Amino acid sequence: MNVVDRNLGRAIGPALFLAAAVLVILLPRFMGEFRLLQFTLVAIYVIALLGLNILTGYSGQISLGHGAFVGVGAYTAALLSLGRPGLEAFQLDPPSWIPLGDGMRPIFTIPIAALVTGLFGLLIGVPALRLGGISLALATLAIAVSFPIVMKRFAEVTGGGGGINLNLPETPFGWDISTRHWLFYEAWVTAGIVFLAAWLLTRGRIGRAWRAIRDGEVAAVSSGVNPALYKTFAFGVSAAFAGAAGALLAIETAYVNPDTFPVGISILLLASAVIGGLGSLAGAVFGALLYVFLPIYAQKPPIFSFEFADQAPGVVFGVFLIVIMLLLPGGVAHFFRALVVAARTGRFRRRSRTSELA
Amino acid sequence: MKKLLLALLGVGAALTVALPGAFARTEATQAPDAVPGITKNSIVIGGTFPLSGIASLYAPIPRGMEAYFNYINARRDKKTGQRGIYGRKIVWKYYDDGYNPGQTVQLTNKLILEDKVFATVGALGTEPVLAVRPLHKQRKVPQVLVSTGASYWGLQYKQYPWTSGWQTDYIAEGRVYARWILQNAPTSKIGVFFQNDDYGKDYLRGLEQGLGSKRSLIVSKLSYELSDSSYASQLSRLRQSGADTLVLFTTPTPTARAIGTAKAVGWNPKQIVINSVSATDQVMAGAARAAGQAYVNGAVSTGYLKNNTNPKYRTDGAVKAYRRIMANYGPDGININNTFYYYGVAKAYDFVKLMYVAGRNPTRAKLMAATAKMNWVNPYALKGVRIKTSQTDRFPIDQGKVVRYNNGSWNEISALYKGR
Amino acid sequence: MAIPARPALPALDVSPAVRTLILGLGGFLGSIAALVLIGLVLTQTEEAFTWSGYWQQVVSGLAQGAIFASLALALVLIYRATDILNFAQGEMATFTTYIAWSLMNHMSYWPAFALTLVLAFIGGAAIERTIIRPVEHRPEIVVVIVTIGLLIALNGLVAWIWNPEVKAFDSPFPNRTTEIGGVVVAIQDLGVLGVTLVTVILLWAFFRFTALGLVMRAVANSQDASRLLGVRVGWMLALGWGLAAVLGAIAGMMAAPSVFLDPNMMLIILIYSFAAAVLGGIDSPVGAIVGGLVLGVLINLLGTYVDFIGGDLRLPAALVVLLIVLLIRPQGLFGHKVVRRV
Repeated sequence: MNVVDRNLGRAIGPALFLAAAVLVILLPRFMGEFRLLQFTLVAIYVIALLGLNILTGYSGQISLGHGAFVGVGAYTAALLSLGRPGLEAFQLDPPSWIPLGDGMRPIFTIPIAALVTGLFGLLIGVPALRLGGISLALATLAIAVSFPIVMKRFAEVTGGGGGINLNLPETPFGWDISTRHWLFYEAWVTAGIVFLAAWLLTRGRIGRAWRAIRDGEVAAVSSGVNPALYKTFAFGVSAAFAGAAGALLAIETAYVNPDTFPVGISILLLASAVIGGLGSLAGAVFGALLYVFLPIYAQKPPIFSFEFADQAPGVVFGVFLIVIMLLLPGGVAHFFRALVVAARTGRFRRRSRTSELA
Repeated sequence: MKKLLLALLGVGAALTVALPGAFARTEATQAPDAVPGITKNSIVIGGTFPLSGIASLYAPIPRGMEAYFNYINARRDKKTGQRGIYGRKIVWKYYDDGYNPGQTVQLTNKLILEDKVFATVGALGTEPVLAVRPLHKQRKVPQVLVSTGASYWGLQYKQYPWTSGWQTDYIAEGRVYARWILQNAPTSKIGVFFQNDDYGKDYLRGLEQGLGSKRSLIVSKLSYELSDSSYASQLSRLRQSGADTLVLFTTPTPTARAIGTAKAVGWNPKQIVINSVSATDQVMAGAARAAGQAYVNGAVSTGYLKNNTNPKYRTDGAVKAYRRIMANYGPDGININNTFYYYGVAKAYDFVKLMYVAGRNPTRAKLMAATAKMNWVNPYALKGVRIKTSQTDRFPIDQGKVVRYNNGSWNEISALYKGR
Repeated sequence: MAIPARPALPALDVSPAVRTLILGLGGFLGSIAALVLIGLVLTQTEEAFTWSGYWQQVVSGLAQGAIFASLALALVLIYRATDILNFAQGEMATFTTYIAWSLMNHMSYWPAFALTLVLAFIGGAAIERTIIRPVEHRPEIVVVIVTIGLLIALNGLVAWIWNPEVKAFDSPFPNRTTEIGGVVVAIQDLGVLGVTLVTVILLWAFFRFTALGLVMRAVANSQDASRLLGVRVGWMLALGWGLAAVLGAIAGMMAAPSVFLDPNMMLIILIYSFAAAVLGGIDSPVGAIVGGLVLGVLINLLGTYVDFIGGDLRLPAALVVLLIVLLIRPQGLFGHKVVRRV
C-alpha cells in the first residue's frame, strides 16, 4: 500500500463522520415530526451502544446488564430534574440523605446522570474482575433482572410501578426552535461528543490496552498492561455512556417506570450491538438504527403489508438474529469495512478475522 | 478510481441513514380549522395493546373492537340511514407495545403525529396509559375508555382532563366483595393472595375499605411477584393462618397457578373469591383441570358484562348480536367464547355512543365533553348496569353483580352492588 | 490449552468409587445437619415458627430446586461438550412441553411423555447440526447471540402455534397431600423429586457404563484428541444437545403442572437454573444438581422467614447470595479452577 492509499485510508473515518454530521444537521428540514422523534431515539441508542461496544467489543467483557445502566441514568435524571419539591407533588417521600436538590434544567441532568452511572459501573467493575466470562454474564444478567424489582421496591423514591412523569420537554432559554428540534439536536450533539470521546479512548493507549486484554489477557500482562485497571475503567466508561443515554431517554419520553427497563432491553441492546458490529464505533450507529426501526416495521412493514400474525414479529426477529450471525458474524460495520478493503485491494480476500471480532 | 469508490461509500453510508427519512410522508396540507383524524367520510382512531409478550392474552380486545367497528361501518344507522357514524367510517389503527411503556410512548407519538388520529381509544395497561397521559394532555388529544381498572382516570380528571376510563375500577370492585362477604358470610376468615403492584394493591385497598370496622376479618394477606416461580410458600402460610376464604387478587395465569397450588398444599378453603379480570373461562378451565372441578365450583367473582358463554344468555339479543358480529366482521378461526373479544365489542359500543353524543361535527373537545355526559344502557352489560358519568363522577361503570362459578359458567347470585 | 487442576483433597487411600460414596454420604448428612441448624436458629428469631411448616417449605423448595437442577444439568451438559451457554434451553423446554400437551390430548400421559422425549432428542440434535454447527468456532459472543435469537424465535413460535392463553398440564401424580412424620407434603413434589432422581441416575449410568457415554466424555475433555482417535465429534456434539433437550423437556413437564403452560413459563426458571449451574460450577454436573437444590431451598426459606426481603426481593436476594459465593470461589462450588498455561 503506498502512502496515498494509507492517507486515504485514514481519511475515511473522519470523512464519514463529517458526512454524517452534515446529514444530522440537515435532516430536520426533510422530516416529519414523528420521524424526527425516531431519529432522536437513534441518537440516544447510539450513545448506549457505544458504551456497550467499549465494554464487550473492545475490552471483551460480556455484559447482559446494560439496560440496567441505562435505567439508572434515566431514574437519576428524572429524580434530579423534578427535585424534592417535584417528587413531593407525586406524594413521594425520598429519604433526606439523598441529595436531590430543587429540580434543575433537564440538560444539566445528563452529565450528572452519566457521572452517577459511571460510578455505579466502576463499583460493578471491581468485583467483576474476579468473575470470568460465564460468571460475568450471569452477574450482569442478575443486575438486569433485579433492576426493575429493586426500583419497584423502593417506591418512596422511584414512584414504584406507577413511575414518575417528568415535566414535558420544552426548549430552554426561550430559544426560537420547536421542542422536537431541540430534543433532536440535544441528543445528536451529545451523541457526537460521546462518539468523539469513544474515538479518542479507543484509538489511544487505552484502546490498545483494551484490545490487548481482550485478545489475550496473559500476553497483555506480560506486556506490562494492568488488566484490573483497564477492565474496571471500561465498566465505568460504558456505564457512564449508558447513563447519559438514559438521561436523554428520560427527558425525551418524560416518563420513567421499572417496566421500561426489563431484562429484555439488555438482551436486545446486546443483540443490536453485535449485529451492528462490535469492535467498531460505526457499529453502534447501525445497531441503533436496527434497535429503533426494526420493532415498528416488523409490525407494519412499509413496503409489503399483509396480515402478520401477532406473534410473527417475534419469530421473525429471532430468525433474523440467527441468520445475521451465520452470515455476518462481524456485524454490519465489519461487512462494510470488508467491502472497503475489497474495493481497495481489488479482490475479496479472506483474512483472519479473529482480531476484528469481539 | 479509488477516490471515487470511497466517495461513493461515503454517500452510500449517508443514504442508509437518510433513506428511511425519504419514506416520510410530507405533511398533508389540511384546511386550517380541520379537526385531525376527522374528514367528511372517516374518523381515524388508534390504540396501543400488548399483542405479544407477557400480557398478550389481552390481544383479543382490539380485535373485538375492530369487529364492532367493521359492523358499524357496514350497517345503516336506523335514524340517519347512513353507514358509519353520521356517514363517517371508523378507521381503527392499533399497535403492539408489548406492555412496555417506553414502546407505548413511541407508538402513541406515531399515532398522534404520523397517523394523525382523532383520539386514542381503549389503550391497555395502567403503566402504558400513565406513560402517555401527559402527552395527550399537552397535545389535547382525547385518551378515552382506557382498558385498565386503575382509579387514576376517574379521580384525576381535573389534572388530566383529556383522559377517561371505562370499566369498574379495582378499588370499587374490592368494595363489592367486602359488602357481599359482610352480607353473606360475616364470620369468614379471609386470606388474601395479591399481586404486588398497583393492580393487586388497589383491590386489597378496596376490600379493606369495604370491610371498614370489620377489617379484622382478614387474617392474612400475602403477595407474590410475577417473577416468582412457585406460590407454594405463600399458600401454605395462608393455610396455616387458619383462613377459610381465599381471595385472589391476581392476574389470569397466576390465578390458575394459585388455585392449583392451594390444592397441592392441602388447603380446601370454604370459599374462593377471584377478581373479575381473571374470572375467565380459560382460567377456570385450567384451574379445574389442575385442582378438580369440585374444587373450583362455587368460586365467586363480580361481573358488569353479560357472561357470553352462559347458556342462560344463549337467546339474549345482545349476546346473539355479539356472535353475529364476530362471525361476520371478526377475524377467522378464533374462539369467540374468549371473553376479551366480548369486552372489546362492549367497549366499542360505548365509543360509538360517545361519538354520537359528540355530534355531527365532532371536535376533540366535544368528545371529551361527551365523556362527562354519559348516560345510557349498554346492551352488552348486565341488566341494571348504567353507563353514567357527570361533571363530578367520571367513572362510567361502577357497578357489579356477584357471580358464582359452576361447571363452566358464571351465574349471577346477587343484586347489583354499587362500588362507588 | 486450559487444563483443569485437580481438586485439592487429602489423599485417601481408597478407590475412587468408595471415595465418591463417602463424599456423597457426607454431603447428604451435612446438608441435613445444616438444615436442622437453620431451623434451630429460626426458632429463636421467628415467633410463628413451626417445625412442620419449616420442613414443608424445605420439601417444596427441594421440589422447585429439582426443576432448576434438571435444566441446570442440561446447561452444564452442553457447556461441557461445546463450551457454549445455551440461552435457549428454557424455550426449547417450553416448546417440547407444549408438544407434550398436544400429544396428551390424543394419548395417555406416559406414552406422550416418552414420545416427547424422543422428539426433544431429535429436535435438540437437529438444532445443533443446523444452527450451532456453523458458528461453533466463532467467538463466544456470536454464539451467545445465536442462542438468544433461538430463544426469541421459539418464544414467538410457541405463542403463535398454541395461543398465549394459559393452559393446564396434566400431572401423573395426584394433586393431593400426604403426611410424613407430621409434615404435610404434596405428592406432586415427591413425584418431581423422584423423577429427577431417576433421570440423574440414568444419566450417570449412561456416562459411566456405556461406550457411547465414554466417547462423549472424551469429546468433552478434548475434541481434538478425540478426533485424532477417530471419533465422529460432530455427531457426539449433536448427541449432547439431544440429551440436553431431553433433560429440558423433563424439567418442563415436571414444572408445567404447577406453573401452568404459558409461553413464558420457563424464562424465570432459566435464570434460576443458570444461576444454579454457575453456583455449582458450570462444568460440573454434580454442581448443577447441588446448586439447583440449594437454590430452590434458599429462595423458599429467604422469602418465608426473612422479613426485610419479603416476597419482592426474593429473586435479587438469591442472586446476591450467589454472587457472593462466586466472588469467594469463582469457579463455583464444584467447578474446576481453570489454570492457564502460557
